[in-house]
Amino acid sequence: MLKADKSLGIIFFPAFDWAISPTHPEREERLLYTQDQLREEGIFDIEGIDEYKPSVASVEDVERVHFCFPDVPSVATRSHMVSAGGAIRAAELVMSGEKERAFAMVRPPGHHAMKVVHGSRGFCNINIEAVMLEHIRARHGRKRVAIVDTDCHHGDGTQDVYWHDPDTLFISMHQDGRTLYPGSGFPEELGGPWARGRNLNIPLPPGTSDEGFLAVMQRVVMPILEDFGADLVINSAGQDNHFSDPITNMNLSAQGYARMNEMLAPDIAVLEGGYAIQGALPYVNLGLCLAMSGMDYSGVREPDFTPDSVHQEKRITEYIDRLCDVMPELYFNPPAFDGSEKAREGVISAGWFVRHKDIYYDVDNISEAQTEMVRECPDCRGTVRVETRSTNNPLCLGVEVPANACDACRDEGYRILEEAQLKGGFRYIQFINRRDDEVVRHGF
Amino acid sequence: MLLGIDVGGTHTDAVALEERGGCMETAASCKVPTDHDDLLGSVTAALREVLRDVDPARAVALNLSTTLSTNAIVEGKVEDVGVLVSAGPGIDPHLFMPCRHFYALDGYVDHRGNEVRSLRGGQVREAVEACRKDGVRVFAAVGKFSTRHPRHERVMRNALCAVDGDEPCEAADFVTMGHELGGTLNFPRRVATAYYNCAVWRVFNEFAEAVKRSLDDLGLGHVRVNVLKADGGTMPLAESRRMPVQSIFSGPAASVMGIVALCDIVHDSVILDIGGTTTDIAVFADGAPLVEREGIDIGSLPTLVRALKVRSIGMGGDSAISVLADEVRVGPNRLGPSACHGGERPTLTDALNWVGESEVGDVEASRRALRDYAASHTMPAEVLAGRAMEYASRTIHRETRALVDEINAKPVYTIHELLEGKQVVPRKIYLMGGPAESMRSPLFERFKLSVEVPSDYAVANAIGAALTRTTWDLELFADTERNVMFIPSLSYRENIPSNYGLEQARRDAVNQLSMHLDAMGVKLDKDEAQITHASSFNMVKGFDMVGRNIRVRCQVRPGVTHRMGRG
Repeated sequence: MLKADKSLGIIFFPAFDWAISPTHPEREERLLYTQDQLREEGIFDIEGIDEYKPSVASVEDVERVHFCFPDVPSVATRSHMVSAGGAIRAAELVMSGEKERAFAMVRPPGHHAMKVVHGSRGFCNINIEAVMLEHIRARHGRKRVAIVDTDCHHGDGTQDVYWHDPDTLFISMHQDGRTLYPGSGFPEELGGPWARGRNLNIPLPPGTSDEGFLAVMQRVVMPILEDFGADLVINSAGQDNHFSDPITNMNLSAQGYARMNEMLAPDIAVLEGGYAIQGALPYVNLGLCLAMSGMDYSGVREPDFTPDSVHQEKRITEYIDRLCDVMPELYFNPPAFDGSEKAREGVISAGWFVRHKDIYYDVDNISEAQTEMVRECPDCRGTVRVETRSTNNPLCLGVEVPANACDACRDEGYRILEEAQLKGGFRYIQFINRRDDEVVRHGF
Repeated sequence: MLLGIDVGGTHTDAVALEERGGCMETAASCKVPTDHDDLLGSVTAALREVLRDVDPARAVALNLSTTLSTNAIVEGKVEDVGVLVSAGPGIDPHLFMPCRHFYALDGYVDHRGNEVRSLRGGQVREAVEACRKDGVRVFAAVGKFSTRHPRHERVMRNALCAVDGDEPCEAADFVTMGHELGGTLNFPRRVATAYYNCAVWRVFNEFAEAVKRSLDDLGLGHVRVNVLKADGGTMPLAESRRMPVQSIFSGPAASVMGIVALCDIVHDSVILDIGGTTTDIAVFADGAPLVEREGIDIGSLPTLVRALKVRSIGMGGDSAISVLADEVRVGPNRLGPSACHGGERPTLTDALNWVGESEVGDVEASRRALRDYAASHTMPAEVLAGRAMEYASRTIHRETRALVDEINAKPVYTIHELLEGKQVVPRKIYLMGGPAESMRSPLFERFKLSVEVPSDYAVANAIGAALTRTTWDLELFADTERNVMFIPSLSYRENIPSNYGLEQARRDAVNQLSMHLDAMGVKLDKDEAQITHASSFNMVKGFDMVGRNIRVRCQVRPGVTHRMGRG
């Protein structure tokens, strides 16, 4: 019987009874052929590889990450809770030492879900990686974690959730935002004033193939990861960079995906997007499972693969080359926070960082206007205060006291809460004190 | 009258069951020692014995559970097999090579059943020639995703048989095509199963011939013969000659079906068959035995052979008592018979004799052995006996719990299943085997559940064999975009209209199942055919629905034709 080099737990949850709409890319059929392929390959018979049931994430798990308005059950369906629960199960397998690595092959995805949630954007409602990661941190302490997002779309949700967190390094490689949803993810988006260089975006031109991706891995991602010294590496394993994906324009193959995964050697991988459900997903997922378990993946090949599929134009190679020259510098020597009005990165005013955001939820057609504030604090990450209104909800307030909060920031959090309750003006208030694990929901 | 024979490791048990006044009763039963070198002799000896008091002419059926295929594999008495595979991309097929004559051919069928690359005639011919040159006469032809489209397996078969179509095989003695083994997706298991099916084909068929002849000699030429399978069902003898691998590991299944015949099981329950060297643990959910998710391992290779979920642990009446530091243990080894049967080392049976739970063999010998062994470990004998009994019940309890937990942890695939997830919670324990009666109260103490020991438990395995019904299962796969419906295990392929739906698929699956059983001479009550899985997925291209991908699995689940004592 075959034996895996690295033990691997697979949480396979295809949510065979959930879809956004019958013909939507995010539908029941999406992981059907992946399941067929993995079964037919006998992957679960390999010694060291086992399949596990997902857990179901709790409302508390979600509230640790998000301000959901009006509340968690309104924005996250059962399937979202199971999908996040699948990621949590993967993390538990690794943290408990039961498996060396884990792959949560779950849907629906989550990396477009931001700190504040009014609905669904980019097929995502809650950020399953973030829910997983904060679950880990609540149980196992503050870890230094790197999240590498290899989905073709910019992981703007994960970026937003961890914008101010210097302990979370977020690297997103994606098709250039000028050519694809969500239109963000440029190199100058480097993180909040106290977490500069912890958020890195590597936009790649349409037509980037195995060659380009692997160059970026080798020259940018790996040296940075080595320097950061993460306790845990998480891969947001979207698969829509595949040359056959119907909604993107990249030329990555299953071999390229597997090789990237092998280099990255993530402790936990979580499936994100990927909508070439017949021609790509079965092969990419097989490649990832084999790579994660340290097995030979050289025999994995898509049916419609030809050498032309992964051809990369010379000018693209040159462009990526130049990108690789400049990208590491943004991590090692990030430019200081520019708090001027012109830079539009937000301002620091009266001891608070303040920025305004307008967010559009494409799936649910919701527009949100948001003011995010973070208390400037030399002793901790600072209390977060978010005011938000959307076409779905009147003015709401979110307050978060961080896990490592100093007394002053904690007191400030309670003061804001009290004031908001007294003065009124907010339809819903979500308050979370991560330091002492207290949650207050007001207005329901 | 129904006859049942279970050829076991130590004994061959036989029963003749007769219906009297609406009640099924044991008309005759016997136990004879099993002769491993002459299984046919053991079968005929048991038959002669059991037929001494009953009229052979009244017998209508004989169900036979035999270790023949199992032994052939364990002892390596198998034939060389030529294995031809068409694997396509993925894990290197050579990693699953079950034998020397293994040829991986360049073909590729994808998960939908599309032929991406056809087999190359020259390469197939070369493989066939190489096997022939080495004198190989039986062959396995297996393709990846052949359960979606068996084309490559047919091409290989025709080349091996030197025929053009479905004509009888000319150039080989026997060919197993992978898709005939069932619709389950698992290429490595399909390879291993097809290999074993060929490897035991000749030895099983010679045995089947010999059994037929002996039955004629015994005046039983008219009876319908069925062979037991590991899933707790039977198959007609003719079918078993084509699928001998299915006859493997039927022993534990016979015992479990015996309990089903003897007791009226309705709840989630645990069956414990405590033998001489091992205890077999089986689990029932809602009164039905659970089967392995995919199939059992043969040798070290996982296969597609369906089997009841039975866990064997090294804990039986003859398991030796040992003392390690201060801890008293029982098993997992057997170091000869119990002291009460002339052995030296005290065993679980001896401990049960001491505490007064049983009076087996020479009780005084049990006491002597325990006293001596306890003295050598400076421990009072009653403490040794008490702790041994406790250790045994604790071990059985722990292993049972582990098995139930494992069953409850099995992955599910829909939100509904996950949230409504059925958990198996045993409410009752059924005990059988030698020390059953004497372990009743220690196990009750441990489990705190009602413990039942059926009256006829000594030959329950043969009763189970006699009364178990024919089981069969099939998977139907339909793809309305390609207008194809395919049932791999029947090699049945039909063109379907684009509006073919899940309801039709369910109907077709049940109809095909009963037609097939009918052709084998087995009558099927429509209610006995059970749909265990039915799903239909819309297939979308761009933003248009282009068809449905339908999967239906249908089975006759294991069960008994009659219950003992109740007709």
